[in-house]
Amino acid sequence: MNGVMSIRGLSKKFGNLQVIHDVNLDFTRGALSAVIGPNGAGKTTLFNLMTGQIRPTAGSIKLDGVEITGMDPSGIVRQGVARAFQVASLFPSFTVAEAMVAAVMSHRNTLLNLWGDFPDQEALDRAREILRDIGASGIERQQCSALSHGDKKILDIALALAMEPEVLLLDEPTSGMGREESRLMIDRIHHLWEEKQLTLIFIEHDMEIVFGIAQYVYVLRYGSLLASGTPEEIKHDPKVIEAYLGGEE
Amino acid sequence: MDPIALWDCMSSPSCVVTQGAAGLISGFTLFLVAAGLTLIFGVLNFVNFVHGAFYMFGAYFAYTAYGLTGSYLLAVLTGAIGVGILGALFEIGFVKRLYEADHLLQILVCYAFILIFDDVVSWIWGVEFLAMGMPDAFRMPPLFIFGGVVPPFYIVLIATAAAIAILMALVLRYTRYGKIIRALASNADMISALGINTRLIYISVFALGTLLAGTAGALAAPVRSLSSGMGFTILIESFIVTVIGGMGSVAGALVSALLIGLVRSFGSVGFPLFAEGLIFILMIAVLILRPQGLFGRSIREA
Amino acid sequence: MMTRQAMFDWAIGAAVIVAMAIFGLYNESGPVRDGIIRFCAIGLYAMSLNVLVGYTGMLSFGHAMFFSLGAYAFCLLLQTGVVGIPSAFVLTVVIAALLSTLVGLVCVRLTRLFFAFITLAIGMLFYSTIVAWASLTGGEQGLTGGIPKDPFFGIDLGDPFHYLMVNVLLFVVSILILRRILSSPFGAALRMVRDNPNRCIFLGINIFRVRLTAFIIAGVYASLGGVLMALYVSGAYPNFAYWTMSGDGLFMIMLGGVNVFLGPAVGAGILLALETVTKTYTSHHGFVLGVVILVTAMGLKRGLLEYVLEKLGAIRGGQGGALDGKASMPAHAVEVGHEATESVSLARTGREQE
Repeated sequence: MNGVMSIRGLSKKFGNLQVIHDVNLDFTRGALSAVIGPNGAGKTTLFNLMTGQIRPTAGSIKLDGVEITGMDPSGIVRQGVARAFQVASLFPSFTVAEAMVAAVMSHRNTLLNLWGDFPDQEALDRAREILRDIGASGIERQQCSALSHGDKKILDIALALAMEPEVLLLDEPTSGMGREESRLMIDRIHHLWEEKQLTLIFIEHDMEIVFGIAQYVYVLRYGSLLASGTPEEIKHDPKVIEAYLGGEE
Repeated sequence: MDPIALWDCMSSPSCVVTQGAAGLISGFTLFLVAAGLTLIFGVLNFVNFVHGAFYMFGAYFAYTAYGLTGSYLLAVLTGAIGVGILGALFEIGFVKRLYEADHLLQILVCYAFILIFDDVVSWIWGVEFLAMGMPDAFRMPPLFIFGGVVPPFYIVLIATAAAIAILMALVLRYTRYGKIIRALASNADMISALGINTRLIYISVFALGTLLAGTAGALAAPVRSLSSGMGFTILIESFIVTVIGGMGSVAGALVSALLIGLVRSFGSVGFPLFAEGLIFILMIAVLILRPQGLFGRSIREA
Repeated sequence: MMTRQAMFDWAIGAAVIVAMAIFGLYNESGPVRDGIIRFCAIGLYAMSLNVLVGYTGMLSFGHAMFFSLGAYAFCLLLQTGVVGIPSAFVLTVVIAALLSTLVGLVCVRLTRLFFAFITLAIGMLFYSTIVAWASLTGGEQGLTGGIPKDPFFGIDLGDPFHYLMVNVLLFVVSILILRRILSSPFGAALRMVRDNPNRCIFLGINIFRVRLTAFIIAGVYASLGGVLMALYVSGAYPNFAYWTMSGDGLFMIMLGGVNVFLGPAVGAGILLALETVTKTYTSHHGFVLGVVILVTAMGLKRGLLEYVLEKLGAIRGGQGGALDGKASMPAHAVEVGHEATESVSLARTGREQE
């Protein structure tokens, strides 16, 4: 496999609770992959480990062959891994445009400038470009705190994109959305992935969505990797069928 | 600065006893105040910045009561209960609106009340320093333990404070009320879902916390001079105690209050002007090395 | 190329300087003049504290330390007789920067409540040191003996007009520079760290560095206030470092408005005015001040300047303030008449594009 992120023997224990247990997997470069599993399977914890928010108890995570295990989150961001959160994590006192500009400037290392202009015109142009790419130009002038739930999730992704990532991790991008809104969001994500040729990994509960667009699926259960492969393989994997009793959650 | 004097004292039993006793009474007094503070913070998640004022009121109420009745016991009871009522009223009037508020707002409102209360006190009792004096019941010759001077009153104060501490521990651990409070500290929603009147509990916890401070003020009144600024110092010190001991831990409050009382007492022998400074250094060290405090546990584990 | 906002700011600053100059020519003494001078000192102090409280969300309870450091360092340097006023000034700023870096390194790592505690502790430690080290600082009595005010660059601080203008100029220029800093990308970083520190990490922002820089800026600005105060009282006193001075700083910020750039300065003015007025009529100054703060905090729920500006439509209302437990954006300009519906800075940028 042409891996971009390699995980070997990854384990995480919180006190006596083993949340992630000896996970080995490779995420394929440039692929649109999904991580699925029941609640409590450890999907978000996996993301947290991959992005440096928590340190593993054991195991290693490599990005393009570079060891990133135990690196702190801003270091990992600089290596090209960005994430969006299950509950959109934004900046209430900023407008969408301002937050995006700040994110872009942070990426360009021009944010800690004590004398410059804010917003910086170049950064603003780039911020607007990103919002356009994700189809969110309309919310530019809104206050982050005033956005609808869906728009908040979109901005969350846009902020991650401002990091010009190689790998984009989305934690349940459609959570809290109805059928129609979810469909739109998934279209947006798919379009984004095609345009940018990113490695995009997302956590999802909805099987229809997963089998609709994912190229590879990784199934987690009780902190271990139950199965991985293409959607077709996963659908017919006896272990998976047994675990899910053949149905959606 | 005179470290030699400190060394000399530490090697002389009489000095150790004298200074130790002084340290213990200020330590135990401080413990009562800090226990109230930590109770309020642990259960209600409220930083009671006005706490020193309740200590002050306890002392002043006791002073007046003693002047009227000549009975130390009545004075202490007046101080305790009077302040408890005041605390309950304060909770109902203001604190309940501040639980959800930003810390800045909580601190500012409390600080406003410090100014108001201090002024009220100097209005009613005047601006001069007052002294309650040793109650007749305790006008006995001092005890001589290992050559050190220990007024009998000290023993009474220490014993009373210790008794209160034990009572508190028992109540928290074994009574239904105590269990409710401890549960409240961890999960407020659950408690109201169980049909328990949380408002009543909140008011009573706050009143209890302030009552402890008032009791401390009343108990210590004979050996302190009363002024409208007396709340300030004890406030800062009780914060130091809660930080060092751990916010929400009563045992921590006891240990660190005694520690501070003794550090101040012995420290003033060797470093007369800098004894305060020593205590702040201690606080800083704890904040850096172990921010949750020595006993950093919450009130639910009492 | 200056933005419209910057030009406006400098214009206001110039107007203030001119107005004060005219005032100064006709008033060589008097309570108003004294009030202005004290305002310059205390105003700088309040503005400095808000860099931490309002902009970065760091509640410092020991800020008086840097104010008193400014006063004591300046006085002590001058009393050595070795340096003149300009050098003493520069050295004081350097010392303040150094000390705030050191203290910041220790404190900034801690989160909100613990940050408040440790700043309180270090502030009071500083106070205790001042009082204990009587041989250097004069202890409880304060630093007496006056300070030499030799003329420098043709300025003679003995001349009332010169003295007034030095205060005003220092105040106005410092505030304008602070304005620039807080409107810069760094200012945006401060507010991001205030709003959502966790997300900042994931945007590659070094939170520690941002907070430490804010702490240093605040410390240096507070020391400037201390210098002006030292000049005013020709000395330095321990109560400059007492925690009530730190508490008063928070009061001023709240009275004027934590979310408006000039709020703290307005609050400082209100506090000074209150003190003067109540002290003339009653000895119950504490009571009055306490009530005023209660009414503002629980009634208005925002500072006076904020309240006025909201009513005038110059800033967005309903954002909540730090007092409502929600974050809100400090208005980028004390500008009257701008549309309240659009982001002020963005609207300006949009216009410049056309």
